[in-house]
Amino acid sequence: MPDMIQSHRNWALWLGFLLALGALLCNAVFFVNPPGKRAIPWLSVLLAGVSLIFLVRGLQRAFGQPRVYLGKILSSIVALVSLLLVGVAIFSFFQARAIPASAGAPKVGQTAPDFTLADTSGQAVSMAQLFAPAADGSQVVPPKAVLLIFYRGYW
Amino acid sequence: MRGIEKQLAEFKAAGVRPVAISVDPPEVSRDLCKKAGYTFTFLSDPNAEVIRRYDLLHVGGGTDGHDIARPAEFLVDSARVVRWVNFTEDVRVRARGDEMLVAAKGLR
Repeated sequence: MPDMIQSHRNWALWLGFLLALGALLCNAVFFVNPPGKRAIPWLSVLLAGVSLIFLVRGLQRAFGQPRVYLGKILSSIVALVSLLLVGVAIFSFFQARAIPASAGAPKVGQTAPDFTLADTSGQAVSMAQLFAPAADGSQVVPPKAVLLIFYRGYW
Repeated sequence: MRGIEKQLAEFKAAGVRPVAISVDPPEVSRDLCKKAGYTFTFLSDPNAEVIRRYDLLHVGGGTDGHDIARPAEFLVDSARVVRWVNFTEDVRVRARGDEMLVAAKGLR
């Protein structure tokens, strides 16, 4: 590489790349299920945004002074890869929030709709039965409340 | 779910019975419970009938494009009155076991 003495590391570009990587990888935190995880999606967006700023800065340097800061081709590749990472991070953010509004769901104080559904043994269980003491004697005292956990399924 | 299972004794002490509901057929839930070691009640709503009744339908939200429930939790007392709800804006951000336990304990 010519002019080695004068070349500087394009730190803005590499920082942009690291931030883009961070934006994507902070989604991995969900596997650990920590408290305060509600902030993680927004952290991802923040990192993505800051990453873009540094990528632009890095590209400006690379194209403005290609001999000093990496080369135009190499920096374009780094920027493109970073942009891809940012794209995936932003896409994941919007995908995870693409949830229906559920305006008709029962609110606090309203009556929950009744139902009868099959349990894992195929036996029909009504809501009233959920409040009864368990048949196998495992629950002598009837529960005060049931916690209905609706989940996506197909795990 | 792991959080629920871990704190199952505390839920019982608070008089609350966790019940998981999804479109998964009983066999799939049975396998899941066996693998993950879940001992609380899992109910199947394969046609999403109850899911629709609770207005939780997520059309095409499943990995194969099938209809599923959007995640939500309801604490319902013996009079069938809703005492606490949790709706997530982001499917990855689920209510933790301890959050649901706080709601359970707050029940009078």
